[in-house]
Amino acid sequence: MIANLVVGGLAAGCLYAMVGIAIVIVLNITDIANFAQGEMAMLATFFAYWLMDGVGLPWWQAASIAVAFGLLQGIVIQQVVIRPLIGGPVLSAIIATLGLNVVLNSLAGMIWGHQTYTFPSPFAFSPPFLVGGVPIAVDSVVNIAVGLVIIIAMTLFLRFTWTGLGLRAASQNQTVARLMGVSITRTSAIAWGLGGLVGAVAGILVAPSLFLDTNLMSALLIKAFAGGVLGGLNSLIGVFIGCLALGVAENLAGAYISPSFADAITFLIIIAVLTIRPQGVFGRVRVRKA
Amino acid sequence: MTAAADIIRVPGSRTAWSLAAALVGLCFLLACAAPLGVNGYGLYLLTLTEIFALVALGLNFLTGYAGQISLCHASFFGVGAYATAILTQKAGVPYLLSLFAGAAFTTAIGAIVAVPSLRLKNIYLAIATLGFGVVLQKIIFEWRSLTGGGGGMALTAPHIAGYELSATGLYYLTLVLMTLGLFGAWNVSRGRTGRALLVIKDSEIAAGSLGIHAARYKVIAFAISAFYAAIAGGLFAYLVRYINPESFSVGLSISFLSMVVIGGLGTIGGSILGAAFYVIVPELLRGIKDAPGLVFGLLLVLVMVFMPQGLWGMLRRLGRRSRR
Repeated sequence: MIANLVVGGLAAGCLYAMVGIAIVIVLNITDIANFAQGEMAMLATFFAYWLMDGVGLPWWQAASIAVAFGLLQGIVIQQVVIRPLIGGPVLSAIIATLGLNVVLNSLAGMIWGHQTYTFPSPFAFSPPFLVGGVPIAVDSVVNIAVGLVIIIAMTLFLRFTWTGLGLRAASQNQTVARLMGVSITRTSAIAWGLGGLVGAVAGILVAPSLFLDTNLMSALLIKAFAGGVLGGLNSLIGVFIGCLALGVAENLAGAYISPSFADAITFLIIIAVLTIRPQGVFGRVRVRKA
Repeated sequence: MTAAADIIRVPGSRTAWSLAAALVGLCFLLACAAPLGVNGYGLYLLTLTEIFALVALGLNFLTGYAGQISLCHASFFGVGAYATAILTQKAGVPYLLSLFAGAAFTTAIGAIVAVPSLRLKNIYLAIATLGFGVVLQKIIFEWRSLTGGGGGMALTAPHIAGYELSATGLYYLTLVLMTLGLFGAWNVSRGRTGRALLVIKDSEIAAGSLGIHAARYKVIAFAISAFYAAIAGGLFAYLVRYINPESFSVGLSISFLSMVVIGGLGTIGGSILGAAFYVIVPELLRGIKDAPGLVFGLLLVLVMVFMPQGLWGMLRRLGRRSRR
């Protein structure tokens, strides 16, 4: 019983984690909480669906093109909307992403309508793994694996390439990074591009487990933020584990305490954790002399 | 930073001062005369604008002055609405009294929410307050015997001193309370508390070394803004005459935050402009056939991209330019 609940929680948690990683990449480098991340991913997912359903491409090609679309979308949005706001109040940028969220949602609604679609998955008909008698859906395993691959790739990129080092420098101190020859607008564009790319991957992996409609991401977005905060936003692996823990906590609270208070209890747990560790479980404190 | 500078500069030029006073007076007269010129629906929208302006004024203390993000203001708004409605409908307390009793209750909740939030910043604070919002909304939803749960509560017209309060009466009551709220906000923001909050926003360490008890002022800011939200909630309940837990969701909290930012962080006039933007613009867009959401979202983005200091910041810049 409890094993089933944990596995179910992990399956939900890895959906949050996919979105969470995309949010955190942008957040860490630009300080902007991107509320449009979910809708950007939703648009990319719809694009993939159209490539498969309308154009007739096979899954892998459609998914790859949609991921490239996600990258491009992130860069374009950064150039058009976010770039003029660099240096202004961060909250203004956040509200701009909120507006963008509405724009992208109604745009998708205008193109694809508000009905639900089923998004195909290449793993839909594979039998579930059995671990100690508990069935684990292949989708979940793939999601967790892809999440880990993204985290490892991002960590390697941020630690061992010049561009990645520039991104980290910009995230720590924009003025000094600029003096060292790092272009802030360029790092911001790269961060948004990467966020868009990971978001598109997340959307394509998440959509088969849910139904594809214009509100695909709205529930996930808040949960992803919450899981990220729980784990600690400046650690990618922290965000990943935080989101998984959130999924499990939700499932357990729903089953053992009260199904209707599951959400409220999860948030109380998050608040309790934050009062003890205000930077999240795995987060590091950034000391700022101000 | 600019806000602090402006506060210090305000008493300087006498002409600007009297001009501003004349403008405020003119706006107030217009607001008093407004019910004569609009139909029932227009009156509803005006009252709603004033109610949202009250919430935005309160939230501005927290976000604009103290730099703290809150995503539970819809719940404060909701608790105020429910407390007022329950006291008036079920306990038979006079409307005005229950309005303030509900607000006092919500203020206490605001102070309680503030305590665990003291160490948190930015997104962490946003998510923690969002959590409190979810919890409060859930309590309202599940406490069926008291609140009616998901079925909501239908309200009868309120009475003040034996007279039934009509829509116009509610408009004037809201106008009076909003004017009082404006006056209060104006005073608090220019007084010790407002200045202390501005320092806390810029640097908590600097505030501490100046002898400002940051934690205490943050709790005060939370409490004041909860009070404003609750009064607004009590008015809102009787404006719509039907309240439901679903109305006080995270989405509304996000809208309140947007109002403050769109209007202009840390400015009192901005709170009113932001509230008006949020009520009036969607109404104007209703005529557009395809997706009013698309246009509203675009407007939100455009306002932020071209006026990062908000509508009020833009107006002030225009005013300064014309004076030169």
